[in-house]
Amino acid sequence: MSPTTRTRTITSLVQNESGTLNRLVSMFRRRGFSLNSLNAGDCERPGYSRVTFVIDADDGTLGQVLNQVERLIEVVEVEDITDETSVTRELVLVHLFGSDIELNRAGLECIAKGGKILTFEQGAATMELSGEPDEIEEFVANISPQLQRTVHRTGAIALHTNPWR
Amino acid sequence: MERTGAQIVMAGLKRHGVKTIFGYPGGVVLPLYDEMLNWPEVEHILVRHEQCGAHMADGYARATGEVGVCLATSGPGATNLVTGIATAMMDSVPIVCITGNVNSWAIGKDAFQETDIQGISLPITKHNYLVTDINDLPGVLVEAFYLANSGRKGPVLVDIPKDVFTAKTTNDFPEPEPREGYILPGMPVESELDEAARLLMAAERPIIIAGQGAIAAEATEELLALAEKLDCPVANTLLGTGAVPRSHDLSLGMAGMHGEAAPTMAIQAADLVVSLGSRFDDRLTGATKSFGEGAKMVHFDIDPSEHGKAVHTHCTVTGHLKPAIQSLLKKVDSKKHPEWRATVSGFQKDFPLVVPEGGFFTRHVISALQAANKGDAIISTDVGQHQMWSAQFYRPEEPRKFLSSGGLGTMGCGVPYAIGAKFGCPDQEVWAVCGDGGFQMTLQELAVMKEHNVGVKICLCNNSFLGMVRQWQELFFEKRYSSVAITSPDYAKLAEAYGIPYVRCETAEEVDAKIAEARAIDGPVLCEFVVEMEENVYPMVPAGGSNSDLIQDPDLKVKTSTGGQQ
Ligand SMILES: Cc1ncc(C[n+]2csc(CCOP(=O)(O)OP(=O)(O)O)c2C)c(N)n1
Repeated sequence: MSPTTRTRTITSLVQNESGTLNRLVSMFRRRGFSLNSLNAGDCERPGYSRVTFVIDADDGTLGQVLNQVERLIEVVEVEDITDETSVTRELVLVHLFGSDIELNRAGLECIAKGGKILTFEQGAATMELSGEPDEIEEFVANISPQLQRTVHRTGAIALHTNPWR
Repeated sequence: MERTGAQIVMAGLKRHGVKTIFGYPGGVVLPLYDEMLNWPEVEHILVRHEQCGAHMADGYARATGEVGVCLATSGPGATNLVTGIATAMMDSVPIVCITGNVNSWAIGKDAFQETDIQGISLPITKHNYLVTDINDLPGVLVEAFYLANSGRKGPVLVDIPKDVFTAKTTNDFPEPEPREGYILPGMPVESELDEAARLLMAAERPIIIAGQGAIAAEATEELLALAEKLDCPVANTLLGTGAVPRSHDLSLGMAGMHGEAAPTMAIQAADLVVSLGSRFDDRLTGATKSFGEGAKMVHFDIDPSEHGKAVHTHCTVTGHLKPAIQSLLKKVDSKKHPEWRATVSGFQKDFPLVVPEGGFFTRHVISALQAANKGDAIISTDVGQHQMWSAQFYRPEEPRKFLSSGGLGTMGCGVPYAIGAKFGCPDQEVWAVCGDGGFQMTLQELAVMKEHNVGVKICLCNNSFLGMVRQWQELFFEKRYSSVAITSPDYAKLAEAYGIPYVRCETAEEVDAKIAEARAIDGPVLCEFVVEMEENVYPMVPAGGSNSDLIQDPDLKVKTSTGGQQ
């Protein structure tokens, strides 16, 4: 692995058309760039989406990825915001089963991190937490091994927040 | 005015100056074929296989610089286009492919002859569309032509469901406008050009690599002016053949795996390599680590994603090549490099191409073809040994005279390329150079040549082998020949069956006369040259090897003045 390899967060603005997302994902697969996550959703402009990608890449690969994404006709802008003034958030939903003691512990942890308890019955609970991907990682990793679980992470979404750029 | 989808397609073709389309009908395109009868100004050529329709559109585009158009029905018609589209994509050739699809309401329900050609063609098109709303059709057609032939060119596919051909709209064709996400590359930024100029002025042993980008950008005159001003030799890629007049004393010919020795060696000996519109394909570079080892690399490309993709570059210039070189010309002073030129001439003298004696070789055939038309005819090649010999021995003076599948290396493209080229350039002499393997992949198109009296001369080099693969088995698999001997039909009878004149040549002595005979025939000809079975292409860089370890032709027995190894 090259010394410059690290996790990068890239955001882009794309025009929505038939096949747009397919085209993006197909390009990553075809060129052998592996995606940690991809997240697409509506944005402030009708007919457009913001798409956030997270990849592990060295400097050379990063440049290639940015160029190849930019090259797609529907892509209006693309930017690596890993080192920029920005916010990055991820949402996780967890559904846990097990002893109430362990469920309580997980619930307290979730609330301490700013999350919500969505359902809590005897032996089962559903929680939601959003935060920096690292926080989500930490929360999920710290859930007691005695609890059974289903976990769904959304992958990161990110926005550039530097008003003077 | 209200028009149907079919009328819009035909009007769109006419609007874009399309005079010939290559296609094959079927159920879902029936409304379009019916409408076609009302548009005599757009000639439809009934191909015998859709793959060849795409290749003909591609050959037409390569020869003319205009967009080629092909047409196919849904399902198998559309999938048959795939090889042709991928071939055009790899070589950035502007074609528009129109496919029919099942009725829009049946899409996704596995209807008869439904296929997701948009999905299939995603990675092999510059862009593609599935038009489910008739109101979008005029805009999509305009944009398809615009995208295909602007920026870095390439194939665009428009998939149209059957009901959209019959639906009506009052929408008219909009003016093409660059859309937000598609910015046309123009003039490169000044600082990049300044850096390139500085490197050029500092270089003592510069070499230019001319790629197809120079031809696509119509920047070949500027390229030559630059080379002359800087006294800088020019190597070319396979697809850059003809970018500079081959007889010019700065022109070294093709570099790379089966290039000539001099350009390949010159790149290794250079202190500055300037690529003008080449993407550093692995067939050019060999092992990239040692490519142009001692040189700084300057890379001009219209597509920023090419920069740094294959080789490490010291200076990149992004933009349209024509204004880029025009501006560069103003930034550099005239230079002379007598020592460097002498070194390169030494390579040329010591390692010339050879045509051996005592046999009848494909090299005789291509040399004779060159002697007959002085590089003035358009030749298309198929893929294999004959393709490499064509690149070596055929010496075009102009761009768009040498048509060949470079990136994909698609066997079978030779004949349809030539047919497409002849439709685009009816006044030019057009030859298709083929091997017996590739020719047998698409020979059904002889029917098109007969039907439309397409005056393409087919130069069939019959060595009874899949020659290029045989050569690799000989050199790298201890001559264990596995499925490389290939039989052929009786080509005299084949030509007769298709109603095409046939010329046969079996010796080197008669080759000039036979080529003259073929040239004298008005209309299509099939010329079969029965050549040596086991002739090898040299020089050669084994796959993945370094261009510094070029294997020279064993037939080349000369004393070297440069001390280069043989
Ligand atoms: C469609 C396709 N299939 C297979 C190949 C692999 N291939 C490359 S060259 C070659 C042999 C070509 O033989 P022939 O057409 O007789 O030409 P020659 O090399 O003898 O000049 C083959 C099989 C290819 N390039 N394209």
